[in-house]
Amino acid sequence: MKRLLSVSLVLVLALSLLGCGGSEQDELVIYSGRSKPLVDSLVQKYQEQADRPVRVKYGTDAQLLAALQEEGDQTPADVFWANTTGALGNAVNNDLLAELPDALTGRADRFVPSNQRWVPVTTRFRVLAYNSETVRPEDLPDSILDLPGMADMEGRIGWTPAYSSFQDFVTALRVTTSRDTARTWLTQMQALNPKSYTSNTPMVRALEAGEIDVALTNHYYVLRLKHGGAEGEYEGDEEESEEGEEGEAPVRASAPVEMYHFEDGDLGNLALVTGAGALRASDQSEAARQFLQFLLSEEAQSYAATQVNEYPVVQGTPVPAYMMPVEQALRLSPTFDLQRLQEMDPTLTLLRDVGAL
Amino acid sequence: MNTSRALDAIRSRWYVALPVAVVVGGVLIPLVYLLLRAAQADPQTLWDLVVRGRTVRLLGNTVGLTVGVLVGTSLLAVPMAWLTTRTALPGRKVLTLLGVLPLAVPGYVMAYALLATTGPYGTLAQTLGLVVPRLSGYTGAVLALSLSTFPYLFLNLRTAFLGLDPALEESAQALGHNRWQVFVRIVLPQLRPALLAGGLLIALHVLGDFGVVSLMRYDTFSYALYIQYAASYDRIYAAGLALLLLMLTAAILVLEARLLKGRLFHRTSGGPARSATRPGRGAGRGVGYAFALGVAGASGVLRAGTVGYWMADSAATGLPWAGLGTALWDSVRASAPAAVLAALLSLPVAYLGVRHASSWTRGVERIAYLGYATPPLAFALALIVFSLGAVPFLYQTLALLVLAYALHFMAEAVGPVRSALYQAPPHLEEAARSLGRSPLGAFMSVTFPLVRRGLLVSMAFVFLSAMKELPLTFLLAPVGFETLALNTWSYAEEALFGQAAPYALTIMFVSALFVGVLLLREQTARPSPSETT
Repeated sequence: MKRLLSVSLVLVLALSLLGCGGSEQDELVIYSGRSKPLVDSLVQKYQEQADRPVRVKYGTDAQLLAALQEEGDQTPADVFWANTTGALGNAVNNDLLAELPDALTGRADRFVPSNQRWVPVTTRFRVLAYNSETVRPEDLPDSILDLPGMADMEGRIGWTPAYSSFQDFVTALRVTTSRDTARTWLTQMQALNPKSYTSNTPMVRALEAGEIDVALTNHYYVLRLKHGGAEGEYEGDEEESEEGEEGEAPVRASAPVEMYHFEDGDLGNLALVTGAGALRASDQSEAARQFLQFLLSEEAQSYAATQVNEYPVVQGTPVPAYMMPVEQALRLSPTFDLQRLQEMDPTLTLLRDVGAL
Repeated sequence: MNTSRALDAIRSRWYVALPVAVVVGGVLIPLVYLLLRAAQADPQTLWDLVVRGRTVRLLGNTVGLTVGVLVGTSLLAVPMAWLTTRTALPGRKVLTLLGVLPLAVPGYVMAYALLATTGPYGTLAQTLGLVVPRLSGYTGAVLALSLSTFPYLFLNLRTAFLGLDPALEESAQALGHNRWQVFVRIVLPQLRPALLAGGLLIALHVLGDFGVVSLMRYDTFSYALYIQYAASYDRIYAAGLALLLLMLTAAILVLEARLLKGRLFHRTSGGPARSATRPGRGAGRGVGYAFALGVAGASGVLRAGTVGYWMADSAATGLPWAGLGTALWDSVRASAPAAVLAALLSLPVAYLGVRHASSWTRGVERIAYLGYATPPLAFALALIVFSLGAVPFLYQTLALLVLAYALHFMAEAVGPVRSALYQAPPHLEEAARSLGRSPLGAFMSVTFPLVRRGLLVSMAFVFLSAMKELPLTFLLAPVGFETLALNTWSYAEEALFGQAAPYALTIMFVSALFVGVLLLREQTARPSPSETT
């Protein structure tokens, strides 16, 4: 009995180690900083359409970027799909991404970077989320720059200094105004004793639970709390998915969490972009481009809106009724060259100097 | 020291030398990698980043948290271990299982559970009208970490309690000590290796924890380190911080070694050890139950309840059976071999440290702990660089992942084996040698059966840890390899708790099953009292 057990153990060990070796020739390998629930159904869909095996490695932008840099030319990856322009910019600076043809980048109607190294896939907006039981929206300021002036908010603000979207906002603040303005804003905010969270999900939960009363976050975190999203498999047919949403009660539609938008063009409403690029070291560059093209197809774009609650980058893609219309959301955001968000280091120095990181 | 003799010794003892070489190499690779990366930094910037007020504060917070969690886990684990080994409380086996289960679920789930239970809008307030302040900061972190790591101490102590020879205690009692005095003067000192091994593991776990401290918003070293990697995409300054963290670890290791030095714990008399008598009647029983159930409830039920609640959140969508199946298979085929490998590697390492105690064998043993304290992300990056450079055919294979798990979690395996070895009398092995057995043969026939219990616990530890591991899996797993933990994390991170629940529950279920089987084997491995008395 004992011998049998140990022999079978060794056998399983040996088999499993041999089991998953190298990759097939025509396989497309994607490194995705976007998490599985937001990506998986789309990948399945593409796999069916293109009749090509696809394998995805999930991680965070930073982890995958670090891995890509250590791997160098030996990387098995063909596509890098990132959550932030910062990560894409960093990949460009390290010369990891290949240049893309106009035919491809031209498919997106906004936010295409001038260096042609990646394509935008979806957009999200910064918002001020508030607890509607304790805060009246009329009392909130017109501009995010005036937020530190609200002395009665002491200890009631939540923010995510370590999170990329927040850092992108600080970068935007720094490059559109000045380093000193950004420093002053941060210092005054720090004086209000904000609570730091590592990610938005627990922060929005804390907002709901009354631990804080306002939170600087991205729009879809509030939508997902109240309307769910990214549920189940991709259905393709829009009517069907709408039906599905109705049949299933909204997750927490009654949660006392609402979104506040600052005045049009304010930095507090900044639009941020997710995107993807083809790797220079890829041996499947044709397939990689084809996949990027798929991400900009009507099908994939409307999936992003209905299932993930992010905004499409291709004109004319409808969004669900509970989302603010695309044009209105775009009007809220300041116009801004996203490539300027690449200069992360001064932002991090600033955040460290004021003690936020 | 004669070099050629040493070489001969290594050649004839390859079964010791090889694992030791693998362990030392596995730990040194990340260290070399970190030193290389840190050397790339601009010295002035690195110095400014490291030497600043915040670093001192982080250091204070980290040490404070470690001490708090050590106290918390001791308060939980010592009574639990005593109750399940030294009393005749019915249902001990179930309690043991409940005492191990917290290891089965990632710490951040515990933190989520505590956050969801407390506060004016928490479950407690809504169901019982009991309003406790929403946990966060130091208190929250200590509580969440204590509740999720105390099994490390509990299992180590259990092994020790089971191996204690009651003869000593009986002698002390005969000499007029009361029960409490016996416990403090006789039992506690003998538990020292187990306390130190478990405590060390917990301390290192706290040093490296990121999930709990980030949710409880408590600034520690590992938190700062994570931000360095995640926020700035900066491998170079992160390496500097990682080296600082390793120095802190080294300090703790030296301290532990000092505390353990020069102790003799095994029996010297002949004859088999008996199992201890078990008090189990009277008023003490109620108190015992209340305590054990309280701990089990706070750690296990709270979690299972939270996950169950998540589950109900999305029961309508149905279970993703196919996804669960592949995720389960991926988890098990990486974790199970890693558990076996880690236990096998730890055996010679611990053996050297215990039986051939010298500064260098102790050094080897301590090195295993450094692997545990190396931030997993740095560990993974180092292995990427190493494998692509030296053994490219291994890159992105399961073999590499298994090796990474085993090397990273080996520290968890060393403790129980070491405790068991301390209790195995060396003269038995010497007797076997004098009767003509080879060193390996003597070890296998005499000592191995005695340390089997320790080995089983080792495997349980590593298996449970590997099942919920994230950063190593992210970076080193073959492309498309998706474990249960990876799925749980992805869904929870996107606030899709409903979809996270089935994966989290599967981890708990499989882990419980695995530990249950191990405990059953432990039962058969121990001679029953009727055979020995």
